[in-house]
Amino acid sequence: MKRVRLRELTCSRPGAWALAGLLGTLTVLSVTGLLAASGWFITAAALAGLVSGAAGYGFDVFRPAAIIRFFAITRTAGRYAERLASHNAVLGLLRDLRVGLFSHIARLPMDPRRWRSAQLLQRLVVDIDLLDQFPLRILLPWLWASLLLVGVLVMLGLLDTLLLLAGIPLLAAWLLPWFGYRRGSRLAESMVMAEQQHREYLLDSLRLLNDLLIWQRWEQRRLALEQGSARCLDLQWQQRRLSSVLALAQQWLLGLGILLLLMLGMALAEQQQLELAWLLASLLAVFGLAETLLPLAGSAVALGMSRAARDRINTTLEATEQPKPVPAEQPGAPWYLQLQGVSARRPGALNGPQQISFEMRGGDVVWIAGASGSGKSTLLDMLATELPLGQGSCLLNGRPLRKWDLRRVLGYLPQQVDLFDLSLAANLRLGNPQASDAQLWQVLEDVALADWARERGLDTPLGEQGSAVSGGQARRIALARLLLAERPILLLDEPFAGLDATTREQVMQALLRRQRDGLLIIASHQPVSAPDLQVVRVGR
Amino acid sequence: MADIDSRVATELRGLLAGQRPLLRMALLAALAAAGLFILQSWWLAGLFSDALRAWQAGEPLQPRPIAGILLGLALCLLLRPLLQYLREICSDRASQRARAGLRGRVLDSLAQLGPSRRRLGADGQLASRALEQVDALDGYLARYQVQTRLVLMVPLMLLVATAWHSWLAAALLLLTAPLVPLFMVLLGRAAATASQRQLNTLGRMSGRFLDLLRGLPTLRHLQALELAEQAVDGAAEEYRQRTMQVLRMAFLSTAVLEFFAALAIALVAVYLGLGLLGLLPWARGEIPVPYQGALFILLLAPEFYAPLRQLGNDYHARAEAQGAMKELLPLLQCEVWHHTGSRPLLLEGAPALELQQVSAAGGQGRLRLAPLDLNLAPGQRVLIQGPSGSGKSTLLELLLGFVPYQGSLKVNGRELAELERSAWQARVGYLAQQPQLLAASVADNLRLAVPGATDRQLWGVLGEVGLAPLLRRLPLGLETPLGERGLGLSGGQQSRLALARLLLRDTPLWLLDEPLAHLDPDTAEQIGVLIDRLSQGRTLLLVSHERTGLDWLTQVLEVARPVEAAA
Repeated sequence: MKRVRLRELTCSRPGAWALAGLLGTLTVLSVTGLLAASGWFITAAALAGLVSGAAGYGFDVFRPAAIIRFFAITRTAGRYAERLASHNAVLGLLRDLRVGLFSHIARLPMDPRRWRSAQLLQRLVVDIDLLDQFPLRILLPWLWASLLLVGVLVMLGLLDTLLLLAGIPLLAAWLLPWFGYRRGSRLAESMVMAEQQHREYLLDSLRLLNDLLIWQRWEQRRLALEQGSARCLDLQWQQRRLSSVLALAQQWLLGLGILLLLMLGMALAEQQQLELAWLLASLLAVFGLAETLLPLAGSAVALGMSRAARDRINTTLEATEQPKPVPAEQPGAPWYLQLQGVSARRPGALNGPQQISFEMRGGDVVWIAGASGSGKSTLLDMLATELPLGQGSCLLNGRPLRKWDLRRVLGYLPQQVDLFDLSLAANLRLGNPQASDAQLWQVLEDVALADWARERGLDTPLGEQGSAVSGGQARRIALARLLLAERPILLLDEPFAGLDATTREQVMQALLRRQRDGLLIIASHQPVSAPDLQVVRVGR
Repeated sequence: MADIDSRVATELRGLLAGQRPLLRMALLAALAAAGLFILQSWWLAGLFSDALRAWQAGEPLQPRPIAGILLGLALCLLLRPLLQYLREICSDRASQRARAGLRGRVLDSLAQLGPSRRRLGADGQLASRALEQVDALDGYLARYQVQTRLVLMVPLMLLVATAWHSWLAAALLLLTAPLVPLFMVLLGRAAATASQRQLNTLGRMSGRFLDLLRGLPTLRHLQALELAEQAVDGAAEEYRQRTMQVLRMAFLSTAVLEFFAALAIALVAVYLGLGLLGLLPWARGEIPVPYQGALFILLLAPEFYAPLRQLGNDYHARAEAQGAMKELLPLLQCEVWHHTGSRPLLLEGAPALELQQVSAAGGQGRLRLAPLDLNLAPGQRVLIQGPSGSGKSTLLELLLGFVPYQGSLKVNGRELAELERSAWQARVGYLAQQPQLLAASVADNLRLAVPGATDRQLWGVLGEVGLAPLLRRLPLGLETPLGERGLGLSGGQQSRLALARLLLRDTPLWLLDEPLAHLDPDTAEQIGVLIDRLSQGRTLLLVSHERTGLDWLTQVLEVARPVEAAA
């Protein structure tokens, strides 16, 4: 996905936006036209009545009455249709952005320590929703206000060029919101930062609540929390005041315009150079213009929010690393893996596995043993190419591991498995979308879950993050899913958690049968038994 | 259900009541602005009427009255925006004060609940209640309430002013007025259910996204990204359609209102115009409303519907506030138990504990902990075992003074309930299942418990738990930063750091809740030995369902699951 640019947001559905713009223009013209025409009509009628002595039979009443009704109808219908069109376009746009951003995040690697899922979710849901402010609250209202302003100025100029003097404050009122934009953007940025800090502080405080209470440190923490909250409220207050002050200044400028128009107009009318009916019509047109200009006072803040959201989304887009070029060649049997003096370390970890050496060939099984914290999982992460190789060499079929395309070859059951809020069958089919029900049952049998699954059925939902199943079951469902993907190299981290010795044996037999000539590496703190088992100790 | 709705309404009313002076001021400012608008319209109409008369008579305008009217108009144009500004300030201030107060109440409730807050939700949810849900009340507090008053009072003011000049024009406006409350009710109901439904869709979409985002590495690994993209597309499309449904209805209802407004203006204008021409079928040759009155009414007419249109826009604020308050209610109205004791406590050494028939009640007449007897001499150490749900953790929370109990619980012969809670807690060391560490330096994590501890003391306790050698090798030493939830430390190292913090406070009573549960057997063995060494000379209650690493605890108390008993 490309960087998000606010002004390109309307490029995705030009037809819909053009329609919305047109309908909106029609609406503001009708709103103003209704007022102006009514004012002209009754003033002209009063004059005609006075001149002809009560019965103004010569006055054409039908045309103005029809025009007034026309404006009344186009005003209503126009606004309804415009809103439907613009919101339809903006919601479609948001949907496209969501899908695009997700694909981008999904396909390119990101540093998991800096980008937590909750943050990315914020981008996908809240920030993208904020982008709609730009077309809806800034772009279109500006367009309409500008067109109407031009219309009013033309009308004043046609009536008498002197009246254009009254147009100067109107022009100023139209320009005024621009002056708030910089401050609006700055406020929006500080606001986001303050809110994020406050949230993190609150989350930490809640996590430590029991301890803080016992340590008599809650009161102090609570004071700090109140300060954080007050800071957020204060920034919000400043945002609101920015809008209010802009609105106040705008109204005063408009008031000045109205006064100027009245004074100049009355002087012109006195010299019989301007008809009163037209003066009233132009005055009411300025009232209509005021209604269209005033919402722009809030656009400074809205633009700030949109821009802050855009920047956050773009930072996220840029944080994805360039995809590493995938090596062209996929390795094949016979397999041969060689590790010589390998060490690795997770970023930020205090220690990791060191000086690991072993060799294995197709059909071999390696058991990586060691206490927790000794680095078994780190070693597997490295073998799965999720961590860089610290020192030593790691060769597959005689070529460095990283020089192979391993995407369809290597299967990894990591320390932390992910199940999805889908049915058991759908979770399993993530490994192989074409798997038949019979294949699913077979693999469930292999991981000793068939009895459990028979009680519930393949359609049983697993809940968010597999919350409906126990930790051990979750691991084995993930193992089953991996087995369905049929990868010749398997790296399994604690596949036997929560199993008794007999079941462990059963699962191990199934693994051996399925792996046949492939490579099988198991990290476990429980004993593993297999013929010709090679034991690699990590740590101490 | 109805009960919850009425409690929500009561809470919301309570919030508004606390800010009554400010809200009243906001209302007054808005009403004064409406009054100025009427005055401004009257003067404008007078100005044009004078000009018309002078023009018709061919005389020049009288400068004196014209100047007076222009001055009056200038004042109106100056003051009305100021009053609107004042109204906004008052409303915003009221909303900010009410929200700050409410947030404080939420925090206090959480502190009172202590460990029992678990039953109200995970910490993430509770935090979002204290932040988003409280902020969601803003629109309701700042705008909605004042607007509901204005929607009746302002049209009434305008109606009276209109009726003064023309009964028929007032009747035309009034004809559409009964539709006002009708539309308010319809709008309100529809908006509440629709926005609730949309909120549910939003929740579902967020849930689906979070689920997929968390599992991205797995999806990548399984080459299943296309499936995930389809799921995202589906959820985003559902949200779009649902939002559009809500909006379509909202737009339709405002369109109907708009229609009435436009229709009324058009009718009034045509009626007044025909009247001025003397062409009304029932009053030929007469002028029912003279020009000044006619123009005045025409200027007022659009403003008649403006407050209602604004209320229509603000209506979702009410639905939003109700939804948010429903979420906050369990926190605000939970039955919080206050530990009432007030006697200070001095403990010289390890305390003796004497529990007789101590039990704790749960909700609906059930027991969280069955009656229990236990006598511990000073410095005695006991392992507490029992099936899950037997109330082992409850026993510890009860000993901490967070949970009310029945029976007698004496500390050195004094009843716990009579002791001052903070004085008692200052002498208790507590370790929860997961060591709670912050994303801060090692030193900060330790000083969280004892702010005044010197570096020497920190190295001392780190040495005792066996972390000092490792930390000395690191370039930053005590200032080594830890990641979120102790990232960078293994499970065993985290336990050691938590024990160091416990040592730093040096309390004579230790309550440890499953300190070894998250560790593998080897590490559990090591940490068990460490706890044995460090806890000597202290009274110790240790909850664990496994005995690995705890062979040194010779005294074992079995807690049985409470029998289901009708209250």
